[in-house]
Amino acid sequence: MNQPKRSDEPIWWALFSAGGVCFAVVIPGLLLTIALLYPLGVLPENALNYQQVQQWLLQDWWGLAGLALAGAAICLPLFHTMHRIHHGLHDLKLSSGLLGKILCYSSASLFSALALYFWWQGLG
Amino acid sequence: MSEQHSPRRPYLAPLTASWWLKHRYYRFYMLREATVLPLLFFCGCLIAGFYSLQQGESSWLNWLSFMAQPWVMALNALTFAASLFHAKTFFELFPRVMPLLPAPLMIAGQWLGTVAVAALLLLLLGGVL
Repeated sequence: MNQPKRSDEPIWWALFSAGGVCFAVVIPGLLLTIALLYPLGVLPENALNYQQVQQWLLQDWWGLAGLALAGAAICLPLFHTMHRIHHGLHDLKLSSGLLGKILCYSSASLFSALALYFWWQGLG
Repeated sequence: MSEQHSPRRPYLAPLTASWWLKHRYYRFYMLREATVLPLLFFCGCLIAGFYSLQQGESSWLNWLSFMAQPWVMALNALTFAASLFHAKTFFELFPRVMPLLPAPLMIAGQWLGTVAVAALLLLLLGGVL
C-alpha cells in the first residue's frame, strides 16, 4: 500500500553534473577557438570553411563528431543551465513550485531536440 | 507527514529575496550560479550554427559574420570567463564528492582535460592536424 514514491531528482542531477563537466572541459576550448580567436583573425581564414566543417561534423564517421558536439556543447550544457536556473528561481524566491521545474526541464529538452534535429537534417 | 498535526510551532526567520546579498559567501554562490546565463547565450549561438550548417553555405557565412560581431564577441568573452570560473569551482567539488586521489592531483587532472580540448581544437583549426 504505502510504497514510497520514486524520486525523479537523480535524473536531473545526473544531467546537471554531466553538463557541468562539459561546461568546464569542452566549452572553454570551443569558445576560445570558434568564438574568440577565429573572429579575431588569429586562426587561418579557411579554418571554418563550409565544406570542411560540413565534412567534419556531418559526413566523416557518419556524422558522429557532429552528434558528439551537439551533445557535449548544446544538450548537456542546456540541462546544466536549466537546472541551475530552476534552483536559482527558488533561491530568488521567484518560483518554488512544480511549474518552474516543468518549464525549465521541458525547455532544455525542447532545445536539445531542436539541436539534434538540425544535426539529423544536415546528415541527409 | 506528521508535521501538520504537530503542536510544535517553530519560529521561521523571515527570508527576503535579497538574502544572498548579505554575505560574501552567498554572493559568491550566486555569481557561480549565474555563470549559466552567458552559457545559455553560447548554446543559442551553437544551435543557430547547426541550423545554418544544414541550410547551406551562404547561411553558414552569415552565421560566421554574426559570431564576429563585436557585441557577440563581447558576450562570448564573458562566457569564456564564466566557463573558467565554473570550471574552477566544479573541479574543486569533484575530489570532495569522490576522493579517489589527493585533491590537488584530481584538480590538476581535470584542468589538464580542459587544456587538452582547447589544444586539440587549436591544432585542428590551426591546420596543424
